[in-house]
Amino acid sequence: MNQRKKVLIVDDDPDFVAGIKSILDTRYDTVVAHSPEDGWKALRSDKYDLLCLDIMMGRGAEGVMMARKIRKDEALREMPVLIITGLREQIAFLFPGQAVHPGFVPVDELVEKPVEPDLLLQKAEALIAAGEARQDR
Amino acid sequence: MTEQGRRILLIDDEEVVLDSCLAILEDSEHHVVVASGGAEGLAIARERAPDLVFVDLKMPGISGMEVLEELSSQDPTIVSIVFTGFATVGSAVEAMKRGAYDFLPKPFTPDEFRAMVRRGLEQRDLVLERAALRREREALREGFAAIVSHELRSPLAAVQQNLFVSISELSDCISPDQRLRLERMSSRIEDLLGLVNRWLRGFTSDFTPLRESFRPLAISAVVASAVDAAETEAVRKAVEIVVEVDPQATVLGDEGALTEALLNVVGNAVKYSRADGIVTVSAAERSGGEVVISVADTGVGVPAEDLPHIFDCFYRGQTGQSGVSGAGIGLALTRRLVEAHGGSISATSEPGEGSVFMIALPAHGSPASELGGNLPSSSGKE
Repeated sequence: MNQRKKVLIVDDDPDFVAGIKSILDTRYDTVVAHSPEDGWKALRSDKYDLLCLDIMMGRGAEGVMMARKIRKDEALREMPVLIITGLREQIAFLFPGQAVHPGFVPVDELVEKPVEPDLLLQKAEALIAAGEARQDR
Repeated sequence: MTEQGRRILLIDDEEVVLDSCLAILEDSEHHVVVASGGAEGLAIARERAPDLVFVDLKMPGISGMEVLEELSSQDPTIVSIVFTGFATVGSAVEAMKRGAYDFLPKPFTPDEFRAMVRRGLEQRDLVLERAALRREREALREGFAAIVSHELRSPLAAVQQNLFVSISELSDCISPDQRLRLERMSSRIEDLLGLVNRWLRGFTSDFTPLRESFRPLAISAVVASAVDAAETEAVRKAVEIVVEVDPQATVLGDEGALTEALLNVVGNAVKYSRADGIVTVSAAERSGGEVVISVADTGVGVPAEDLPHIFDCFYRGQTGQSGVSGAGIGLALTRRLVEAHGGSISATSEPGEGSVFMIALPAHGSPASELGGNLPSSSGKE
């Protein structure tokens, strides 16, 4: 059996986080950051196999800024990101020109809050596998 | 009701007029500033943002008319009143066309002037209040997406997420009854989330990007998914849904959006049906390049006075049925979705007998649908 994979959750709603952490804890080592700043600290100090990122944090789209910065970062660029959003419609306006899916890289995915436990685990697993496949190449 | 201490600007080339006006207002708490010409007056207006301006029409240099125009382009909420030295109706009317609120013929008595100041300031209050309301309305509209998504959805999502995880974690140690209660809580939250979403979309969404996902669709597929989604409620109410669809009828559209649009109508038909009622959903291509979907029910019908308003946001009939709940969003959203497809929706009804809703969409390949299909590339993404 492989070592347990590490997942970082960045979301400023502690109640929502409790509801997904409990699901992810069954399979992964999960770490939580409640702000983009704490998220960055966590990403700098450890390596994660998956980032679950709330895009609407704070006043506006601080999560979107974080996602964009991650994609420009040498060390973090390859990390799969599962975007968790309160509202799918927002995506179109946050990422103009990209219909519904932000499509940063092929290993990114998007789920809406709330997310069914099975769906969350399925997406997380697929993204981690896709991320590994990229690294092996 | 007008507050004290307002800023009043007087522009007149006759010093005697300025002096008398100053004397009349001396005892008031208003801040009065004077200018002896148009250019000077406009400079002061820019600097001091007056509430009320009196302008003499006949001045050397910049004319009173020009001052009026310049003032209203500077700040349309400034109330301006003209002094008319030669009391001709013509020049007063002309001045009012250029934005003056009223005119005061010279010579005037102190009381006439005070009364005009009071009227002008009252008008200024109204104008400011109206502007504030308009700004508030715009801000509400613009902020609505953000407010709804964060303030309403976030707590609901957090509750739902924890219900999901509780139901699954507790599955081994709760009774079937307890599980059912948790599931019912979850299902009510789900309804509420759905309502918030529909509400938001009815209000703020721009449907032009929808065109990017337009493709040829058999209308039978749309009807089938909408009827399928309405079936649970129909079975519960013992309402039969009969489908009569021309399998050839095709439109250009977004399947999800059209299904949602039709589901609102079919869902309503079921909702307003009596037990053992029949809802007939038919669709066929008509001559003239239209595909018409009709949803007929044998339900309570819509009173004639409600009929013109049923597609308006938040409209709910006054004569609505007891036990029927809704937010008055469904049909408004349907209309917007149908219109985004270049179509139209209409309804006829016989109270007590039932209603017929007709959605007309351009048939695929018709000139109207081509027009709709060609637009997406130019739809607003700056």
